[in-house]
Amino acid sequence: MKNSRNFILYDSFKDIKSNGEFTGSIISKFQDKIIFSDNIKISDSEGIIITEGLIIGFEKKGNNIDPISRNSDFKWNLNEIPLEYSVKIPEDTMEQYDQGQFSNDFPFTINLLHTAGLLLNDLNFGVNHLNFFKGEILKNPVSMIRNGIIVADRVVIDDNGNPVFYDCLIVGRDKDDELNISYEPIVNVDDKVIVYIIILGIEELKI
Amino acid sequence: MLLFENKEQKLLNLLKFTGSPFKKFVSTGEIKEDIGLVQSRQDLLDSIINVLEKDENVILPIIGDIGTGKTHLYWALKHELYYYNIVYISLENVIKKFYNNTYSEFIENMGIEVLRNTIRRLCNKWGALERKFGFFHLADIEKVKKEAFEKWSPNFENKEAITDIITAITTHQLDPYKKIETERWFLGEVIDIRDLSRLNLQHDLRERNNAYTMLKVLVENAMVSSVLFIDDFEKILSMMRANPIEEQTEEVFDRSWLFGAMQSPEKRTADKILKKIINLNKIKGLRIIITLKSTEFYKEIIDKLKEKDSTLLNIVSDPIILSNFIKEDLTSFYKRNLEFFFGHINYFDYLKDFSNSSYPLNENVLKYIYNKTNGNPRGIIKLLIKIFNDIVLSSEDLEDILKKYQ
Repeated sequence: MKNSRNFILYDSFKDIKSNGEFTGSIISKFQDKIIFSDNIKISDSEGIIITEGLIIGFEKKGNNIDPISRNSDFKWNLNEIPLEYSVKIPEDTMEQYDQGQFSNDFPFTINLLHTAGLLLNDLNFGVNHLNFFKGEILKNPVSMIRNGIIVADRVVIDDNGNPVFYDCLIVGRDKDDELNISYEPIVNVDDKVIVYIIILGIEELKI
Repeated sequence: MLLFENKEQKLLNLLKFTGSPFKKFVSTGEIKEDIGLVQSRQDLLDSIINVLEKDENVILPIIGDIGTGKTHLYWALKHELYYYNIVYISLENVIKKFYNNTYSEFIENMGIEVLRNTIRRLCNKWGALERKFGFFHLADIEKVKKEAFEKWSPNFENKEAITDIITAITTHQLDPYKKIETERWFLGEVIDIRDLSRLNLQHDLRERNNAYTMLKVLVENAMVSSVLFIDDFEKILSMMRANPIEEQTEEVFDRSWLFGAMQSPEKRTADKILKKIINLNKIKGLRIIITLKSTEFYKEIIDKLKEKDSTLLNIVSDPIILSNFIKEDLTSFYKRNLEFFFGHINYFDYLKDFSNSSYPLNENVLKYIYNKTNGNPRGIIKLLIKIFNDIVLSSEDLEDILKKYQ
């Protein structure tokens, strides 16, 4: 196994696996969910272990599909790792992200207490609250898009009903399926390429 | 086409129109001065900088007679050491609420942004920027406060004051709903008891220990080194020597009832101020410059310090003596002032046309000024004001005016 770029800790598509214990800001894609964590341990003997990670996504419960953000430990052995990838965001990119965050005292920013789904492009269980929040500033959005993940400080729904993410970390694959990480102050996304947008609830982050 | 221009007459006309270039003969800590030091004082400035650049607490006495330019030296230092935070205080202005007033002078000098940055940095150091799940800032005020108190309380004598300061810093940074009130607290404003209680604070910065501790926090944690320039330090001695009560003129209130016949309120105040200034040396990295009018005062101050705490003498640097101008200084001082003045009114031809002349004065007048004043800068400026007022206001010929000063 090789690792051409050291921010990639694990990539099932490219057969990359870096053994060791890593701490920092780590994003892992797990099926159609996202795991945020400050640690990950990868070894041949124990597989992949994430302690106290935050898993985010939509989960089906009976006839409903609900957004979740749950604090949990994860452990997979090497034979059946369902992770697509794990990347560690470089510290300088995190610093940029920190600096771009709105001060908490900025008025008119909506901080949700509980995690909620803003958009889910699904034929059967679709959710679309974009019009409801048109023109509003929502804090802590996380979005799964076709080829990647966007973690932003805030999202604003513009006049056309498209989400505009501000202060974003983007993890995604390029046309060669190589993983990339970037920081963008503003990202304008057509809602058709979005799989889902979840607004993280501040109270659930505290748990 | 202009065939001939009487440049000297033009300069005189300009002076009559604009007024005298010399107006102010007393330097103050409030009004900025732009003209630098004369050449003979440049070495002196270098030796002051050498003392200050040593990374340690120091008390540097500067001795100079009245009018030799001690306060002007403050402005020269401020220009030269622009990367330092140099704060001027005149003892007369800070006698009451010494720490509070000194802190206010620091804030005024440093600006609110430095204060905000310092507070932000401290709060981040205490864990305010900790990221939950590696990404999300969810600062827990109580946790940050606890961390801060554990780290800081051993270094501060007054636990009540440091508790107030830690509470104010964490509230300012982490509680958006109380940020504005806390900033008022940091700026030294009077905060009423209801607001204090809402902010969970005991006192505002009028309280001595709070003001001192906040000053210590600010000086020790700002990114720039600080120098406190205390002007007219001998004022403390003159207060200590206040006339005995019986010698004073009639008083409605018998002050001996306050502190007995041998002590006056002024002496008590002076003692307290000296103690507070000595206490400033506990602030790590704070350099103090004191100005004194004579070596006698210097000796007295040294005796007083010895009386209070003999170890203090280790941080008192050798005094720097500010003497009067030498002859060459007068010429360069005069030329520089005129250059600055005419430059200020966009008459740059002065530099071209009069670079080698002392016009409107002449060498003899400058010599007269020097002899008359013995090179005392304030005396020189006073005489220059007088002569230039004559030139500007009088209808006499320039030659006739200058004859009076030769």
